[in-house]
Amino acid sequence: MNIEYEFEKLLKRVEKPARYTGGEVNEVQKDPGNCSLRFGFAFPDMYEIGMSYLGLQVLYSVLNERDGTYCERVFAPAPDMESLMRERGVPLFTLETKTPVRELDILGFTLQYELSYTNVLNMLSLAGIPVFAKDRGEGMPFVVGGGPCAFNPEPVAGIFDAFLIGDGEEAVVKLCGLYESWKASGEGKASFLEAACRTEGVYVPSFYEPCYLETGEIGGVKKLFDGAADRVKKSVLWDLNSTVPPEKCIVPLIETVHDRAVVETFRGCTRGCRFCQAGMIYRPVRERSSDSIIGSAERQLKATGHEELSLLSLSTSDHSEFEPLATRLMAMCKENNVSLSLPSLRLDSFSFKALGEIGGYKKSGLTFAPEAGTQRLRDVINKNITEESIFGSVSQAAELGWGTVKLYFMVGLPTETYEDLDGIAEIARRIMEACRKGRMKLTVSVSNFVPKAHTPFQWEAQDAYEDFVSKHDYLKEKLKIKGVSFSYHDSCMSVVEAALARGDRRVTAALVNAWEKGCRFDAWSEHFNYSLWKEAFEEAGVSMGYYASRKRKYDEALPWDVIDCLVSKEYLITENEKSKSAETTEDCRQGCRQCGINT
Amino acid sequence: MRNKYVIKLAKGGYLKYISHLDMVRLFKSAFKRAGIRLTHSQGFNPHPRLSLAQPLPLGYSSTCELLEFEISEDMKPAEILDKMRQAVPEGIKLLGCGRAAEGKSLAARAVAASYEVRIPLDAGFECDFGELCENFMKQEAIPALKRQKKADVKKETDIKGMIRELQGEKVDDNLILYIKVDAGNRSNLSPELLIPAFASFAGINTAREEMDVTRTGLYFLR
Repeated sequence: MNIEYEFEKLLKRVEKPARYTGGEVNEVQKDPGNCSLRFGFAFPDMYEIGMSYLGLQVLYSVLNERDGTYCERVFAPAPDMESLMRERGVPLFTLETKTPVRELDILGFTLQYELSYTNVLNMLSLAGIPVFAKDRGEGMPFVVGGGPCAFNPEPVAGIFDAFLIGDGEEAVVKLCGLYESWKASGEGKASFLEAACRTEGVYVPSFYEPCYLETGEIGGVKKLFDGAADRVKKSVLWDLNSTVPPEKCIVPLIETVHDRAVVETFRGCTRGCRFCQAGMIYRPVRERSSDSIIGSAERQLKATGHEELSLLSLSTSDHSEFEPLATRLMAMCKENNVSLSLPSLRLDSFSFKALGEIGGYKKSGLTFAPEAGTQRLRDVINKNITEESIFGSVSQAAELGWGTVKLYFMVGLPTETYEDLDGIAEIARRIMEACRKGRMKLTVSVSNFVPKAHTPFQWEAQDAYEDFVSKHDYLKEKLKIKGVSFSYHDSCMSVVEAALARGDRRVTAALVNAWEKGCRFDAWSEHFNYSLWKEAFEEAGVSMGYYASRKRKYDEALPWDVIDCLVSKEYLITENEKSKSAETTEDCRQGCRQCGINT
Repeated sequence: MRNKYVIKLAKGGYLKYISHLDMVRLFKSAFKRAGIRLTHSQGFNPHPRLSLAQPLPLGYSSTCELLEFEISEDMKPAEILDKMRQAVPEGIKLLGCGRAAEGKSLAARAVAASYEVRIPLDAGFECDFGELCENFMKQEAIPALKRQKKADVKKETDIKGMIRELQGEKVDDNLILYIKVDAGNRSNLSPELLIPAFASFAGINTAREEMDVTRTGLYFLR
């Protein structure tokens, strides 16, 4: 079939056809005939989401840098496109050359959030690739997964041939090298996986077989291939300055979530918030030098023509040279007529000065994430932000003319009581009282606590759905304050997310059921369908509550124990214990906390 | 003295699937990549002085788009063209650049546009296309269904007065329709109203997705 001809007809019938055309500025063009390795970088969500993700640009550039390797992009088609593709028999294809995905050598999915898993299954099916690894014969692409969700790969273990755990820049290149040698050897697929699993950061799930106790807990894991590691260490790019960040970034033809140049300033975080997975799995902190950041930003702006520059890290102000760096960036942006955006700032006098200078913020407003309503609960989660500092910053902001403030909180945190919820309302009330003179608009945004693997709270129970609903209702009443608006995250979504986040291989059946029932784009509230998910779990005989709202004991074997993120379980236990008595742990910059990453 | 220019360009390939607003965004970033500074409007929310003479519907090719812009320093049109050609993606062809006339913008002066519509015909579809087009235009009124912006219902309107020319010829198995219709803020007719009205008059059942439309001309008041 002539895909391009069929494809053009579809384009005339779908919404935002440029999601599927490719052809953007800086897209890499290579002759596929001269490439021995065809790699598909798959983002299991829509184009506009995937193209706003820096990791895509990073790996796209790293892979296409290799001679003979052609990395092309693949996204999840929106429902209107999907139904036309199925109707006309058009298989999932790459954006660059419209090659059917089935014909690629390696298909790499980035797993950024659990609620994209049904899209992974759907994309495989649209590509004509069997969804289970065991059903994919010789000649089918290797399906590989990476990203934060790969730190608990078990719920999708049967879907993937391999996972890349940790930093991808070097690991993916090693994998490509292994692929080329394997292809030259002419041996079967198994021999590639046997070689791959000896590489740091590569987990081949088919080499492990968990068994379960009568109580339902994991009894142990049988290794099916001796060469596979007992625990797979994540791969770490120890020196960020050893790689060049992407500069010739693809410039989307249509509006995406973020249309801007982005430079990563550092990876990892030293704050140690106990709920935060990113803060644990991306350790240690590694900075890019100021010169490298500025040079790279300048070159990226030149190559893309973007009108905005943003910095990426887990906490912008924590870069050790932040103030001089920000000052230099402000000058460079002014010179180039580009606006600068500084996300997640710690609000001190310098930031206010900087924000005042770069402007623009008065429109979008200031954002704080106290996460919890009382000092006690903030100590429990180790979020070191005090009420005094919030009030101080907000009143300073009000004086300087900021009109909108957004506060982020979580509900359902371990040890939370209704007093902590009262605390949320109290903070809002006091802010409004202090800023009575101006016309302050305050938004209180609440998300639901989802316990994640490899965090001090990985053993904790999630609130039941009904608890979330009562807490939201309670807050809704308490926050009926003039000038305050209240929004909260869908509770059903958070429950499904939790079941997938800490699931084991038995959850896969429920996931596949959900996809077969038509679940797609579950991270989108307009597409998420809880009743289908409930049916899917019930019919698979899997309890959502067992994974979401059950408290685990420290000695229970956890599905993700096979993954070693270099932070020790002892440290996580110590942190969990300290949380029970609301004892805080200082920032690692003030001294090593012995989490294991430095040993 | 302001440095105002016009670039004439063709839009085709996959680029025809981006909207008017995305075209404007594309050129904003292309000027940045080319290192050419656009001047900005004054006021609270300054925007670059850059506009396309007439929006082109999504999915249409064009051989005659006009981009008007103002830059901060005087440059030779040839130099602009040279720099911009390296900054635009495949699918956009820059045909020429010249200094803009003083006075009102092209967008404010647009009155008409011409299009070429390629309609693949069912095998064996025979008729005298000259006569068909004449008869179509001879109708007292030409009713077309127009979608109402607010309520999602279609309302019948007479489009005859907005059709300036309509001719057709058969090339291979296609009917090529040459039309010229009102375009601009005085009076505007989208070919999307005319095409189905003509097809139903002529008894042509070709699906819309099989047809291609290319804009071939833009006309302005002096």
